Amino acid sequence: MTKSIISCGVYLPYLRIKRDEYLSALGRCSAGMREKTVLDIDEDVITMAVEASRVALAGIDVSRVGVVTVASTGFPYQEKAQAGTLVEALGLEKNVLTAQHSNSTVSGTESLLTALSLLDQTEQPYALVVVSDAPVSGPDVDLEHGFGAAACAFVLAKDEPGLVFEGVYAQSGEAMGLRYRLPGETDIRDIGVKTFAMLDYNETVKGAVTGLANKLGRNLTDYRHVVLHQADAKSATALAKKMGCTDEQIKEGVVYPYTGDTGACSSLLGLCRVLESACAGDCILISSHGSGSGSQALSFCLETPVPKSVVFEAVLGYKRYISYIQYLKQKRSI
Amino acid sequence: MSAHISIPMYQRAVPQRYRLTGKLCKSCGKINFPPKAVCKYCLQGASFEDVRLSGRGAVYSYTVIAGGGAPPEFETEARCKGSYPVLIVELEEGPRVITQMVNPPEEGIAIGMSVQAVFRKIYEEEGVIRYGFKFSPA
Repeated sequence: MTKSIISCGVYLPYLRIKRDEYLSALGRCSAGMREKTVLDIDEDVITMAVEASRVALAGIDVSRVGVVTVASTGFPYQEKAQAGTLVEALGLEKNVLTAQHSNSTVSGTESLLTALSLLDQTEQPYALVVVSDAPVSGPDVDLEHGFGAAACAFVLAKDEPGLVFEGVYAQSGEAMGLRYRLPGETDIRDIGVKTFAMLDYNETVKGAVTGLANKLGRNLTDYRHVVLHQADAKSATALAKKMGCTDEQIKEGVVYPYTGDTGACSSLLGLCRVLESACAGDCILISSHGSGSGSQALSFCLETPVPKSVVFEAVLGYKRYISYIQYLKQKRSI
Repeated sequence: MSAHISIPMYQRAVPQRYRLTGKLCKSCGKINFPPKAVCKYCLQGASFEDVRLSGRGAVYSYTVIAGGGAPPEFETEARCKGSYPVLIVELEEGPRVITQMVNPPEEGIAIGMSVQAVFRKIYEEEGVIRYGFKFSPA
């Protein structure tokens, strides 16, 4: 049985803040994005998840969805089956198999892999994967400067033409003090040693990506697009180049400059973007990363172009800029 | 005082608040939204069929609630934004609903402009998030 992504949806909040706002307010900005997405006061990861899912499910009979998996590093409740909110909002059948992944930015690809497995346990042909994230920290934390917000959703199908899943390879290991959050806290912490974080990122992601290529008997040059996890402006592109990828393979999957760090969404958001220009026969590799640390690299091959309900560039263009003061109000910091 | 809606009462309205489920009157064929025990149009029908509304509509009327005029449950929002627009939307299927508007256009709201339902947090009470619909420009 083949399993494919047959549809995808993206949601970006309407509000944006430019990096220049940080520079004029604070005199510096520790993140290298041009601008980033900002949650409105009445948005959270669940509202974004619903909107992205509605786009992905357009034209699909929702009664045939048998699996829902949802991922975020920051669900609004620490304990609650939040897939239920999606089931009600989307009008899905109440007997869908659900799974919820959290606690790390690697949870996005985890939820996709879980949905692929759970498809075997349902008679229904479709699974919905929703990844929605908006990392949070206080305005005095350097990491926060880059934190954006986004959601993406995918419909997976059994034996239908689309973006065919080919395989996965993972890496895990101990990496202490990098981007973590203690129980009961909303703010993310980090020991703030960038070189240490970069070494871990490079080692973990490279391990997953090269492991996957070896497992499938491919070279990285066989992939039209290579999309790596983007927690900052440079690491993903630098690592991809170090591994021998060309600008052509990397550039379309880069979303960080427009959204900031979208946590668990990162590489999956890049996947949605490259799918718009991908042609039949193209192979795509994505790799997530979660501090602590872990990485999962997934390989796909495009059998039939995935239909576009909403054009990614249009979603990027629908926006209103806010000032740094308004941004602090949105975050309820003032 | 806010217009307190208990959790069980809100819970009962989840299909209408989360996905705009209306009730089609089997006697006169009109859609009641929000649902009624007896059809508000023919005043006779008490048997209904669930219909999921499209969420598309047009602005029938609107007002802007200034900060001081917001009820307590919307105080945080009013404080953050200064004011917020409230619409009466005439849905494609006929019913009119009162709703907040998100992402209002900078050139202003116009009667007749197309709008689309979106899923948002309405307010939070007792630590429980009340989700529901608002409308944004289509």
